[in-house]
Amino acid sequence: MKKLSLRLRLIIFFTIISCIVWSVAAVLSWKETRENIDEFFDTYQLALGRQLAAADWQNISPESQKITDKIIKNIYNSEDDDDTIGFAVFNLQGQMVFHDNENGKNFAYSPTTGMFSKENIDGDVWRIVRIPSADTKYIVAVGQELDYRDDIVSDMVEEFMLPWLIGLILLLVSIIIMISTEFLPLKKLTQKLKTRNPDDLSPLETTKIPTEILPLIEAMNYLLQQAEAMITRERSFISDSAHELRSPLTALKVQLEIAQMSEDDPQTRASALKKLELGIERSSRLVEQLLALSKIESSFAKQSNVNEVIDWKGTAGQIIEEYMPEAEQKHITITSHLSNEGPAANGNPVLCALLLRNLIDNAVKYSPDNARITVYVQGGKLEVINSETKVNQDILSRLSERFFRPAGQKQAGSGLGLAIAERIARFHNCRLAFENKEEGFSVSLLPL
Amino acid sequence: MRILLIEDDSLIGDGLKIGLEKLGFNVDWFSDGADGKEALSQAPYDAVILDLGLPGQDGLSILKEWRAAGHKEPVLILTARGDVDQRIIGLNSGADDYLGKPFALMEVQARLNALIRRQNGHIIPTIAYKDISFNPMTRNVSRNGKEIVLSPKELSLLELLLLNKNKVLSKETIENKLYSWDDDVSSNAVEVHIHHLRKKLGKDIVKTINKIGYILGEA
Repeated sequence: MKKLSLRLRLIIFFTIISCIVWSVAAVLSWKETRENIDEFFDTYQLALGRQLAAADWQNISPESQKITDKIIKNIYNSEDDDDTIGFAVFNLQGQMVFHDNENGKNFAYSPTTGMFSKENIDGDVWRIVRIPSADTKYIVAVGQELDYRDDIVSDMVEEFMLPWLIGLILLLVSIIIMISTEFLPLKKLTQKLKTRNPDDLSPLETTKIPTEILPLIEAMNYLLQQAEAMITRERSFISDSAHELRSPLTALKVQLEIAQMSEDDPQTRASALKKLELGIERSSRLVEQLLALSKIESSFAKQSNVNEVIDWKGTAGQIIEEYMPEAEQKHITITSHLSNEGPAANGNPVLCALLLRNLIDNAVKYSPDNARITVYVQGGKLEVINSETKVNQDILSRLSERFFRPAGQKQAGSGLGLAIAERIARFHNCRLAFENKEEGFSVSLLPL
Repeated sequence: MRILLIEDDSLIGDGLKIGLEKLGFNVDWFSDGADGKEALSQAPYDAVILDLGLPGQDGLSILKEWRAAGHKEPVLILTARGDVDQRIIGLNSGADDYLGKPFALMEVQARLNALIRRQNGHIIPTIAYKDISFNPMTRNVSRNGKEIVLSPKELSLLELLLLNKNKVLSKETIENKLYSWDDDVSSNAVEVHIHHLRKKLGKDIVKTINKIGYILGEA
């Protein structure tokens, strides 16, 4: 029953219920009719019995029996209704003095009077009542075959239950038609979804949909909308990535060609090979960052359930330590004020470390010599400030765009570092804010 | 042939400069859009290679400004975005040709040569003068069907003279066409190259017009 369709279940349910109701009605009316018929015929039997009891049986002659036989025969020949009533008259000695020359012939004598009893006569069941005659010297027995009563009851019940049966069938047919029509929108929807192109993420039609199913359709439309947004994002990511990979590939190709052309010029060749290596390093970094970005996007989609306590203080301290040699080369000083009151208490520690690394890497890479970098983790906020940097106001909001590189960059980069950081921030219900402060250019990570 | 190259990617810019110079061009390379835009008025360029995604000012708006200012130098556009719409916009903005990344150096060379040839009114790839013929693509020179080996600078000088047949070219013009701003040019470099050309191709190939310059053919 689990997989049976709702439509079929409703139809079966209605059919069973209707049949039960009809059957109960039929049985009840059969019983009622039966009682009525019994009462009617019993009254009739008693009336006939009393009439017979009033007759003068003393002076009955054999002639009378003959005449009666004739009359009854005539009645039979006229094929009138046979109500299968029979009678017989006995004297107190148990001798039959008169009978209807028919069924009554076989009636047995019994001294008990005034009571109906069921008796077996020639294999048929009869209902017989015995009444004493007016002079109490005779007993009159009147009986009727019970089969006859049953036939009448069946006829009557049949007659008035048949229209009901037809009504019931009509009712069931209309219920089936109605349920099927009501389920048509669902069926059509199923068909539409089955034949739908996987690329087609347009919302489903909501007109002519019953209000009970509407929330389902709306939920599906919301899902489709989300899926479309995700696919658009993925497509633009793939297309952007492909374009971004073209430049490093061009660089590799051109440098390779120079190396091939410079067989007689070892110096140019060596320099071209050096640049080829640089280009390959740059490409691998780009690919790594693209992979990181796509991993974050997919863990975003999967609602990755890594939810551990984040050690902001320890992680930040460790990453700052790593960048110390590079900073010292440029005479950059890094100051840190670290506590464990980071922007998010729990989350993915690997992603948070990547975020911190990207921010500190940017700060060291893009700061001029002798600059001061300050890293704060306190009061639910992470902030990195570069003392000597100022970022043009109109590009502040574009810094976290994928592949965005402001004009005049001397450092090699993919334009993905801050985009990755921004995705990680969103993943932890935080946001990145860029600001030109008095102390310098500030990047901060704040809870939403 | 002096080429103006505006490309922000250091590895591509550097590669194009070195590669094209090996192929006989003189290349001035700018990585900033605004600087590159100004450079076009500062020297007699034969063609421009322009990247579209530039810091400072983007390639298309530079190109539009050049065309509006009446610059007619052929422009070859380089871009990572190779879709048709981009090409149409580029060509409608006044570009003469379009090259999608990644490309081969040889293709850049072939397209530059085609652009320069068209600009100078030549359709056939080989330029002939008297008994000398020169193919700018293969950079082969032959005299009476016999191949003559010339140095890259001598080739560039011969090409310049052939393209400006019957015109007097000053020593300064020749220096500007032959050398980029990165080259150290000795004061008698042009004279030395002319001397070599005469030695290899015949005394009468180039005439010296006193105090004005040099000419190939009749003044």
